[in-house]
Amino acid sequence: MQRDKFFKEIENVRHPNETLVKTHCSYCGMQCGMNLRVDTRTNKIIGVEPRYDWPVNVGKMCPKGVTAYQQTNHPDRILKPLIRDDASLKGTKEGFREATWDEAYDLIAKKFIELQGKYGKDTLSVFSGVSMTNEKCYLTGKFARVALQTRYIDYNGRFCMSSAAGGFLRSFGVDRGSTLPWTDIHESDCLFIAGSNTAECHPTSMFRIWNVQERGGYLIVADPRETPIARRADVHLDLRPGTDLALANGILNLLIQNGYADEEFVNSHTNGFEETKELVKEFTPEYTSELTGVAVEKIMRAAEIYGKAPNAVVMFARGIEQQHKGVDNVSAYTNMALVTGKIGRPKSGVATFTGQGNGQGGREHGQKSDLLPGYRKLTNPKHVEEVCKVWGITPEEMPQPGVSAYEMFELMEQKTIRGLYLLCSNPAVSAPNLNFVRKALKGLDFMVCADFYLSESAEFADVILPTVTWSEDEGTVTNLEGRIIKINKAQEPLGESKPDWQIQVELSERLGRGKYFSHLKTARDVADEFRLASKGGYADYYGATWDKIDKQDGVFWPCRDEKDPGTPHMFLDKKFYHPDGKAKICALPYRPPAEEPDATYPLRLTTGRVVFHYLSGNQTRRIQFLRDMCPEPYVEVHPETAAKYNIEHEEYVRLYTRRGEAEYKVKITEAIRKDTVFVPYHFGHDQSINLLTIPALDPMSRMPEFKACAAQIEKLARKAVQ
Amino acid sequence: MKKRLYLELENCIGCRSCLAACTQCGGHEERNRNYVYDVNPLVNRQTMPLMCLHCVNPACARSCPAQAIQIHETGAVLSALVEKCIGCQNCTIACPYGIPKFDTEQNLMYKCDLCIDRSKDGIPPMCASVCPSNTLQWLTDEEIEAKQKQFNLDNGKWVTSMPYLEGETNVKVNLPGILQGVTKLF
Repeated sequence: MQRDKFFKEIENVRHPNETLVKTHCSYCGMQCGMNLRVDTRTNKIIGVEPRYDWPVNVGKMCPKGVTAYQQTNHPDRILKPLIRDDASLKGTKEGFREATWDEAYDLIAKKFIELQGKYGKDTLSVFSGVSMTNEKCYLTGKFARVALQTRYIDYNGRFCMSSAAGGFLRSFGVDRGSTLPWTDIHESDCLFIAGSNTAECHPTSMFRIWNVQERGGYLIVADPRETPIARRADVHLDLRPGTDLALANGILNLLIQNGYADEEFVNSHTNGFEETKELVKEFTPEYTSELTGVAVEKIMRAAEIYGKAPNAVVMFARGIEQQHKGVDNVSAYTNMALVTGKIGRPKSGVATFTGQGNGQGGREHGQKSDLLPGYRKLTNPKHVEEVCKVWGITPEEMPQPGVSAYEMFELMEQKTIRGLYLLCSNPAVSAPNLNFVRKALKGLDFMVCADFYLSESAEFADVILPTVTWSEDEGTVTNLEGRIIKINKAQEPLGESKPDWQIQVELSERLGRGKYFSHLKTARDVADEFRLASKGGYADYYGATWDKIDKQDGVFWPCRDEKDPGTPHMFLDKKFYHPDGKAKICALPYRPPAEEPDATYPLRLTTGRVVFHYLSGNQTRRIQFLRDMCPEPYVEVHPETAAKYNIEHEEYVRLYTRRGEAEYKVKITEAIRKDTVFVPYHFGHDQSINLLTIPALDPMSRMPEFKACAAQIEKLARKAVQ
Repeated sequence: MKKRLYLELENCIGCRSCLAACTQCGGHEERNRNYVYDVNPLVNRQTMPLMCLHCVNPACARSCPAQAIQIHETGAVLSALVEKCIGCQNCTIACPYGIPKFDTEQNLMYKCDLCIDRSKDGIPPMCASVCPSNTLQWLTDEEIEAKQKQFNLDNGKWVTSMPYLEGETNVKVNLPGILQGVTKLF
C-alpha cells in the first residue's frame, strides 16, 4: 500500500442500520475511492461516506463524486425494456411502450437477422463507451465480432482519449496514460500542464498540484482560458486554441538551445533527436509567439523553469488532444520529457488526464475498430490467432478492422450501416457536427440503445434496453494512472435492469451464437476470460486478479502473472516498447487548426467542461445539486469582445458556425482570450455546442477538432429571464 | 488530539464539493449550511468558501433570546435546538459573517455544527473530508502552527492573526497570499 503524507488514519462513521460498500466513483478517470452507504433494511444505496484509505484521493471527492450515488435510485431510471413501434417518432422521447425482455430480444434478433440477411453482416454496428468496467468493454468487442459478426465497432474514446493513445504509441511504443503513479505528482518540482482544466475536470488532483507550489515548485499551465488552475500558475501560457504544436516546438527549441537536453539519455534511449532539433530551430520565441499569441517572455520563462527543474511532469488533456493534430500535440509535448531525460524515474514523466472512468482500460481490450484484447492489433495475424483461441473461432471468422466513431455516422448516412447497437454513450450530444450525426441516427433502419436513462441518443432508438448503473454490478476499471481497481456491487439491479454483459450474453443466445457466450454467467466469469484474452498482449492483465487488486490497493498494468505485483512506474529500466527499446523523439511540422477565423467567422470557438457535469450530462443533469449549480450552457466572452458586439452579461446571443447555431447566455469574463469564446458541451437538444463544432479528424487517431473552429456572434433582442 | 477546521482560501477552486458534502453527514437533513462565493466573477475564477468560524464567544448564541444555540464541549457552535428555537432570526442578523440560514416553512434556524457526530470523535466534518483542493483541512494545533511558520508573509503577520470581526474563532483562516512567503526550490 502506497501511503504518502496526505494519508491519515481516519475511522469511517457508521450509522445504525447501514453498511458501507467500498467502491469507486462512476465518473472520470480519477476513479476516486468512495464508500456507498447502504440501508440494510431496504438494501438500497442512500448516501456516500469518504474512503479515507484509498491512496489516490484519500477521501476527497468533487461535487459529482459526492452526489454520484443519487443516480442509482433516481426516478428517471428505465426499469423495463421499451419498444417504439412508430418509427416516425424517432428523435423524440415519444411513443415508447414497456415490453418484456423476451419481446425486446425477439424483436432485436428478428430485425438484426433480417438486416444482415438483406445487406450483409457489416450492415450492423456497435457504438460503445468506456464509462464501464473492463469486463463490459471486453465483452462488447467480442459481442460485435463474434455474435453480430460485424467489422463496425467503435467507441466514444475517439472523442476522448484516442489522440493520447496515438501519441504515446508513437513516442513510447506503449499507451499507458501515466508513466508514474499519482502519489508522485506532489513530490515533483515542476508540473507543465497543457490543455487541462484540472480544477474542474479532475478536481481531486488539485491538492497534490497545489502542494508542488507550496513546496516551492512551479506550475506552468497552457490554456486559452484562465481556468481555476491557470489562475495560480507561475506561468500561464494563454495560447490561441489549436496552436499547441507551435508552443511545444517552441519550448523544445529553447530547451535544446539553452543546453537542457540530456545528451546521454537522448543518445542511449531515443531516436529522432537530430531531425527534431533541426525542425524546431524555426520555432524561435518570436515565431512561436506570433503563431500562439503567447508573450515571448512567458515562453522563455516556461522553458527555463521546465529545463532547470530537477524533476518535472508534463501533463495534458483534451485541450491538446481534441484537435485534428491531437496525436502530434501529444508527441510534441512528450518530446520535452524525452529530450531532457525527465522520464523513466520517480517524480518525473508524462501523463494524460484520462477523461472517462475507464478511458484507459476501455481502449485496451477490443472496442476500438482495429484493436483486440490486450492492445492486440486486428491487422496482426499472430494477434488475431491468439484471441481466436480464447474466443473459439477461426481467424477467417474474425471480421476486418472497421472505421472510427465519427466515420460510422458517415457510413450510416451512406446506408452502408443500417443497424446500430448503442451502449454507454450519448453521441447525439458528444459527437461533433450534430446536425449531421442526428440525421444519420434518424435514418437508421433499426437502432437499439442500452442505457439506464433515456438519453438524447436513446430518443433515436427503436428499442431501449434498461442497464444497471455502476453500483449494481462488479468488475474492474483502469484509472488514469494505469491502476486496475475494483468496482463493487452495492445494490441489486433496480426494476428489471441488467448489466450490459448479461444483456449481450442473452442476446447472443437469441442470435444463435450462444455457444461462444453461454458459459459467462457472472461478471467474474467475464473477468476470468478477459484476463486470459489479454494475456501476452502488452496491456497484460492476466496477473491482475480481483484478490490482488483488493490486497495491494489496485494493480498497475502490465501485470503478467500471479507473482507480478504490477508496474507503478513505467520505463524505470529506460526500456521503451519499440522493438529497439528506444523512445521516439518526433519531428512534427506545425499545422494550424483546420478552420481559421476569417471576416465572416472572426472568433475562435473552443469547448470544454464545467466541474458540475460529466461528459454529455446525461447523468449529471439529472442530479438536483449539480443541475442547480449549472442548469444551462453559456458562452464566455471577454469584456472587450463583448463591447464590440454590444452585448452584456447574461444577455442571450446567437452563436453560429458554418455547421450550425445555438443560443447562449453570455458570461462576461476577463479570464479568456479576446479572440476566443468558450461554451461547455454537456447539454442536449438545441443547447448542444456540438451543433457548431467541426468534424475535422486527426489523420491517426480520428479525433475530431472539438477545441478550435471559427465562429460568429449575433446579438438577439431577447434578454435573460431573471 | 483536538483538531480544528483550517481554511486556506488561496486553494479554493470553486467546485462546491463542500456544499454537496454538507448534505451527506447523515444529520443535516440533506441541506447545506455554508457558502461559496465568486470573488470577482466578471474578472477571474477566484472563489472562496464562507464557513461558520465557530466563534469562541458567538454573537449568534449571545443574541438568541431562547438559548437555542448551544456550544458543544469541543467548541462547535451547534445548530438551533428544534424545541427551543422561536424563529426570531436574531442570530441571522447578529452573525457578522451571515452564516445562520433560516427555514421559513419550519420557522427554524439551521447552521453548520461541524458535523458534530463526526467531529466530536475527531473525524473530519464532511466538507473538510472531501475538499479536493485542501482549502478546508482538519488539523491539530501543532499542524496549524507549522502552517504559520511555513507561510511567513512579507507583512510580518500570520494572516489569521488579522483582527477578527467577532473575537477569537475556533476555525482558523488563512487569507489569500500564502504563496508570497514560499521560497522557490530553484
